[in-house]
Amino acid sequence: MALRRLIVTLAVIAPVLWLLAFGFQRDARHINSPLIAKQAAPFTVTLFDGGKLSLSDLRGKAVFLNFWASWCPPCRAEARDLEAAWQKVKDKNLVFLGIALQDTEKDSRAFLEEFKITYPNGRDESGKIGVDYGTWGIPESFFIDPQGRITYKHVGGIRAALVIAKLENAAKGIVSAQEGKGDFVPVR
Amino acid sequence: MVMGRYIIIALCFFASHVVFAADAPDLEDQTRAISTELRCVVCQNLSIADSPSEMAQQMRAIVREQLQAGKSPQQIKDFFVTKYGGWVLLKPATEGFSLLVWIVPFVALVIGLALGIFFIRRWAAKKRSAQPVTADPKLLARVREEFASAETEELDLEDPSPRAPLLQERSRLYADLKELEFDYQQGKLSQADYVDLRRDVETKAATILGNLDEMAASAVREKVAARRPQAAKQTEVVPPKAGLRGWQVAVGAAFLLVFGLTLGVVITNSLKPRGGEGDSITGDFLTGTPTASKSDLSALLQEGRTAFNKQDLRKAIEVFKKVLAADPNQPEANSYMGMILMQAGHADGALMAFDKALSQVPNFAMALWGKGMALYQGKQDYAGALEVFEKLLPLLPPGEDRNAVVKLLAEIPAAGKKPQGTAKLAATTAPSSSSAPSASSGQITGQITIDPKLKAAINPQAVLFVIARPAAGGGPPLAVKKIDRPSFPLSYSLGAENVMTQGMPFTGKITVTVRLDQDGNPGTRGPGDLTGNFKKNPVEVGSKNVDIVLDQVAK
Repeated sequence: MALRRLIVTLAVIAPVLWLLAFGFQRDARHINSPLIAKQAAPFTVTLFDGGKLSLSDLRGKAVFLNFWASWCPPCRAEARDLEAAWQKVKDKNLVFLGIALQDTEKDSRAFLEEFKITYPNGRDESGKIGVDYGTWGIPESFFIDPQGRITYKHVGGIRAALVIAKLENAAKGIVSAQEGKGDFVPVR
Repeated sequence: MVMGRYIIIALCFFASHVVFAADAPDLEDQTRAISTELRCVVCQNLSIADSPSEMAQQMRAIVREQLQAGKSPQQIKDFFVTKYGGWVLLKPATEGFSLLVWIVPFVALVIGLALGIFFIRRWAAKKRSAQPVTADPKLLARVREEFASAETEELDLEDPSPRAPLLQERSRLYADLKELEFDYQQGKLSQADYVDLRRDVETKAATILGNLDEMAASAVREKVAARRPQAAKQTEVVPPKAGLRGWQVAVGAAFLLVFGLTLGVVITNSLKPRGGEGDSITGDFLTGTPTASKSDLSALLQEGRTAFNKQDLRKAIEVFKKVLAADPNQPEANSYMGMILMQAGHADGALMAFDKALSQVPNFAMALWGKGMALYQGKQDYAGALEVFEKLLPLLPPGEDRNAVVKLLAEIPAAGKKPQGTAKLAATTAPSSSSAPSASSGQITGQITIDPKLKAAINPQAVLFVIARPAAGGGPPLAVKKIDRPSFPLSYSLGAENVMTQGMPFTGKITVTVRLDQDGNPGTRGPGDLTGNFKKNPVEVGSKNVDIVLDQVAK
């Protein structure tokens, strides 16, 4: 009788404790972004070289869009990889675009100089582009197909090989079901 | 007429000011109202109205802007949901799956109340049934007599005998009876309640009288038994029920105290700010990964090595951090952290980690190797690299590792003659393995096929790993090539560009194997994965036709 009572009590308490533990561990931000397979939000950004670039101008090309900040260590860790990836694909019909988020112009320029970044980069001064892309941690990268649809999102640092593979997928319009994860820091 | 026009213009002007003055606080109120319902995406359960973060400020600005553009609060909330998903709402939607969040607590409350009522009723029923319905009429008569005549023994509060608690209880019950009598006469109790309660108290008092009589009889028996020592030992006083009740209360109180303390200590120790992706607010509590003690460092080190070998660097960092939390100077963990930092292109950080390892064990081969490579590849400090490799060489037994160091020692002076400009360029492109000395050491090429019987077992999401390990001593993979969704037969080439640890030479004799990971997750090596080996392993770098058949199924 006592054993039965113990089993029943545990059967009631254990799922509740499990639910509690599950809830404590889970970070809601890791639920897949609703943006995947949706049209990428349009924007126009002023580049550090003074020019302007609109996403709509890039229609017909696969785009790698990377949000970064000079104060973010994982962004520094991936910077050389991204430039190396760009060097490999720059002659193809693929576009790299970096957007500095929550960063000063001076620091952003110093970052680009330090890592010898040659692909176009601009700054999201108001943070609107970041919100439009649902950013919450940086670096965050989006892959956009020639029709302007987001095919893959990667939160955190990304390696060159993955950038090229996902960009080639984006060029073919292949959508990845899952987001990618790497080391990141929350935006401020 | 002109005057009238001025008055109208002035009225319009003031009216517009009044309207704007009324609009401004309204806009702010509306912004705040919506902001309180939106989660700050970088905070812990704070709305964007309450968070001082830059992100929250930007989100508030967007809310204000959209309100000014004439959007409704619902449209604005929907906008943020399309960007961040439903979790951005502090109040989940009352539809679809989120509806459960609203319903379940009430259902749980109702179930809890129902269970509470059920158990209380059962407990009360048990208590009623446990009470004696009738007491000995003689004892009841004695109770009434004693109560009516108020003839009770005077209480001695310092009496240490077992009778004392019973006498005190009897006095209390007589006092209760007096109070009942008084309340009834004052009309505070109904006839029925008075009769029930009086019977209840009288019954309890009769039980006490019975116990007192029994105790007195026992005392007499003890006296008699005292004259017969053997029999005395067999006489036992029945413990009063009050004692048992006290024991139960003490245990209950102790349990509650321990429970409360445990809860307090555990919760305060376990909650912490979420600092990164891998963190939870409970820290390591509930995750099953408590902080390492020195005793389980070896298991953790093994776990870290495995993760590093699989290039699951996040896991490796997590594990080695745990090791370093328990022992900050652990040389192997520091060396692995150095290797990881090298891979990430942080030569300075890597050098610090290797130096830390060497400060503990000056001849730690792994740290010497890493430091040499960091100086050679990351810093172009050829003299420093030479010094380190020369120190490493005598520590290595004859074999592939030693040969690799000998080869490096032969290469470095040549590299030192490179023009300074080239060296600088190499420093800025450190992650590109094409600059590694082994880049020109050749490739291993071949074809991978699959056993026809196993073709049906391929998962469409499967990922193929071509793995090269040093033939001497096994150890971690030297190079790995990952191929998503492979189709067979498949031609491959493995070279310096696939080397896992920055700067490791892709030379010498290599063992080549392949693994088809069915779930596509390299971190999990599950049953059903297909594997294959090159039949003539090991091979020299530069070998061709290193053909492998996937013909084994992992169990």
